[in-house]
Amino acid sequence: MLRIAAVLAAVLAGGPLSAQSGSTRLAGRVPAAALPAIDSLIATAAAESLPTEPLVQKALEGSAKHIPVDRLVTGVRRGLLQLRVAREIVVRAVRGTAVPEGHVAAVAAALSRGLPAPVVERLLTMAPNEAPAPALHAAADLMAHHFDPDSAAELLVDAHSKGLRGVRLLDVAAAANHELQRGGRTPAEALSRVRAMLPNVPAPEPVTRRGTKGS
Amino acid sequence: MSPLDPRLQEALDGERDPGELPADLREAYDRLIAAAHLVSATPHLSVASRVMAEIRHTAPAYHDGSVRRAVRWLGRPRAVTVRLRPVWTLALAAGLTAILLLPAGPGAGPRPGVAEGVANFVGHFPGARSVEVVGSFNDWRRGVLHLNDDDGDGVWHGAAVLPAGQHEYMFVVDGERWVPDPLAGRYVDDGFGAGQQNSLLIVRPAESSSP
Repeated sequence: MLRIAAVLAAVLAGGPLSAQSGSTRLAGRVPAAALPAIDSLIATAAAESLPTEPLVQKALEGSAKHIPVDRLVTGVRRGLLQLRVAREIVVRAVRGTAVPEGHVAAVAAALSRGLPAPVVERLLTMAPNEAPAPALHAAADLMAHHFDPDSAAELLVDAHSKGLRGVRLLDVAAAANHELQRGGRTPAEALSRVRAMLPNVPAPEPVTRRGTKGS
Repeated sequence: MSPLDPRLQEALDGERDPGELPADLREAYDRLIAAAHLVSATPHLSVASRVMAEIRHTAPAYHDGSVRRAVRWLGRPRAVTVRLRPVWTLALAAGLTAILLLPAGPGAGPRPGVAEGVANFVGHFPGARSVEVVGSFNDWRRGVLHLNDDDGDGVWHGAAVLPAGQHEYMFVVDGERWVPDPLAGRYVDDGFGAGQQNSLLIVRPAESSSP
């Protein structure tokens, strides 16, 4: 038990420190040969008012995995390009208002999961002032299980209109996947069954340190 | 001691009128009577009793002064010097640390805050010597979150309280093999061009897990 407590404390203590600059966190962890290029990419992102944390994380990840320098820099550069695309989508979706904090990084993450830009934009338009990550992940979850992206987005918009918010949208995707796996149903039939039960999709069991509740 | 004159004795005993005594005997009689009065005036209480009575009488005044002195002592700034041996200081620090880290009872432990959730990690790696989880939640730092296989059945598991939201991670087996979590259910290309995928974890806030 003491070991777990120590691990938890260490994990929390070692978590992302957004207050620290990217350069400070990269020094000593990123290969010296890659550091100038990566610093430059991060500085560019900051100058463009793009979030820098995804780029810092990508650099730390590549370094931990001992990715060769050229591929490491390319990976960070790809992240910067994705952030730019994400911001364009967000700007279109929240037309006329300031870009909410966190939206760009969430959209970039959704794009990296393969979610088509039109679907991302539709879900952003659905609730421009809400954190978009849960809806985007729900759509990506559905797509990963071979649901049609547009139909998936439509289901999520329906769920939102019936009062489901935030992580509850993930439950919608889980319910659709569950219906699909019960066998004998097409994705369209599974979506239809879930739409019929809205907004009463089952919630997951609470997760504890020892597993799900009751285990 | 010279014998008492019989006439003086008779006067002392009340058998003769002292006025009939000659002048020298009358003077002796007066002295003896005065001495007898002095003896009869001796206090009937013992010295100890009188002293104790005096102490009891003055005790309240003594008590009031003590309180005032105590109040003055407490209110006056004083330099306090505490001398500790380093070994006892270290022992005290270790004890306090243990109290802070040790759980209060079975199943207890750090509880997730409002914006945190619990993540359980499980992986089947038979024959592995070590398995750890490395991801965006710990800045991809090694040696922070180790999984355990206490019964040696090859099933490695661990739990951590993490900030709510999305986290990418991988298992590192035996310190060198990077493996996606086969039970993650969500994966994302790591973007380094080799087609490797990170596992994706979405941590729900602990509050939202309640039905």
